[in-house]
Amino acid sequence: MISALKRQDNWTLIGLFITLLMLIALFSWQSEFFFTTRNFINIGQAISIRGLIAIGLTVVMIAGGLDLSMAAVAAVAGMVTASLITLEVNSVLVGVLGIAAAGVLGSFNALLIVKFRINPIIATLGTLLFYRGLAFVSTGGDNIVIGVNAWSELGRGSWLGAPITVWLFLAVVVLGMCFMRFTVAGNHLYAIGGNSEACRNVGIRVDRLRGWTYVAQACLAGLAGLMLTSQSGTALPSALNGAELDIIAAVLLGGIALSGGRGGLLGTLLGLLIIGVVQNGLILLQVQIYWQSVVRGAILIIAVTLDSLRRGGGYR
Amino acid sequence: MRLSNVSKAFGQVKALVDVSLDLHAGEVVGLLGDNGAGKSTLIKILSGNYHADEGSFEYQGRPVTINRPADAQALGIATVYQDLALVETRSVAHNIYLGREPRRFGYFMDRRKMERDANVMLEELNIRLASQKTDVELLSGGQRQAVALSRAIAMGGNILLLDEPTAALGVEQTQQVHHLITSMRRQDKAVVVITHDLSDILDITDRIAVLRQGKLWAYAPSSETTTNQIIGWITGVAPPHVRNGAVEMNNGSDQ
Repeated sequence: MISALKRQDNWTLIGLFITLLMLIALFSWQSEFFFTTRNFINIGQAISIRGLIAIGLTVVMIAGGLDLSMAAVAAVAGMVTASLITLEVNSVLVGVLGIAAAGVLGSFNALLIVKFRINPIIATLGTLLFYRGLAFVSTGGDNIVIGVNAWSELGRGSWLGAPITVWLFLAVVVLGMCFMRFTVAGNHLYAIGGNSEACRNVGIRVDRLRGWTYVAQACLAGLAGLMLTSQSGTALPSALNGAELDIIAAVLLGGIALSGGRGGLLGTLLGLLIIGVVQNGLILLQVQIYWQSVVRGAILIIAVTLDSLRRGGGYR
Repeated sequence: MRLSNVSKAFGQVKALVDVSLDLHAGEVVGLLGDNGAGKSTLIKILSGNYHADEGSFEYQGRPVTINRPADAQALGIATVYQDLALVETRSVAHNIYLGREPRRFGYFMDRRKMERDANVMLEELNIRLASQKTDVELLSGGQRQAVALSRAIAMGGNILLLDEPTAALGVEQTQQVHHLITSMRRQDKAVVVITHDLSDILDITDRIAVLRQGKLWAYAPSSETTTNQIIGWITGVAPPHVRNGAVEMNNGSDQ
């Protein structure tokens, strides 16, 4: 934690932490239900699935990329796992194939961006529509109900009083932080985001590493899809539709630069917590649903403004 | 290192024509020429970023090929580009060891060793920075140049190619870079300096190579050369003049 603080823009993290504490204080003052163990577990559960995708996106963005298709990948992975469960395929194989299917979609993203040199925003906007369409086409738009099965424990079970999804998310956060901080590959991803040409000049395999970030991101999205399906007992082709913007907002809010090379997973975790706390607080205060959309939009605007300020300028 | 009759064309444009050069350990060669003379093309061929259409290379007497950057690195050729190719968001130590980080167990970075080695290297080159943990974006132009040169040496470079190392630097920072070049000569490196700055070039180099319209126009010891002569060669007012080293290989005669 301390080393992560040193590595990141300290003031960004401190600012995020203070913001989070102020929001917690505000909602605790406004609602008696906010500052309860049960509610914090709810917040943890609400952010853990999107959080998994946000962790992958953070790594992609640190390396100077972007992925808009992650929620659609999660939906496809959910449909694949649900289909396999209904076919009574071996439980372990279901999980492996579901995540592998997501990995294949991530490989396609990587192919478009790394090999065909298509701008990541354009490429993944295209695959977002393509993958979401695939999720709908696979069942003609119908949901797949799987009910209780071997995977149900993943989405509904708990350990030491907290949902397994939360533990899994925290484990991925810690592993991701260790990877980015201590491994050579993690450090190369930061360097690639900072100056990819400099990395090429010294022989770092820029394209290969960048490509792997898209595959890893998709696998995490696949895991999120699997968790969501097991949690609800139903695979929806519309699962996480529109969640892309919330996830990007959390990552940007957490100090990841759109230009790459900066930020870290601790910032993303704080960004996720801030958005999770705001959404949860607004629900508890029974704020009209339309206002919640306004607040989410405001958070996204604040996030990109902060990114622009951090880069010392804006759009020219 | 010996280059023999190296040529490179981009479509109809002949960027380099039959250029031959010798580079020796402990010697600094100033590579001069007007814009479009072929200096950067020659550096990019030596660094493996361009592939020569014709010509051959010898390293320590044996023929070698340079088809990609990895080939050049394997031969100990390190290039410091005009834009320095530094990662501004990373620390000095990271930049010096970029791509060659000390490792533990294969995949993990040995950060302590990297920072310790970076300190030793900066001290050897007499480069003073507040800390090797400082991000490069916080350094001055001269300090950045020093970091880029340190990286070239850390890469095991025996032949250092410096592309406009003093461009956009102040007087004091330029002196720092000249001091670094001199200390590299003392470390027995072969150094090629591309520059437009003629003010101190004769003081810091042992030989001068002037390219003009892709051809080696002049090649002479710095001690026997004047600034006016160099200007004459660059502009083409003075006739071609090739001595000591590349004479025989360049179109077969002392031009």
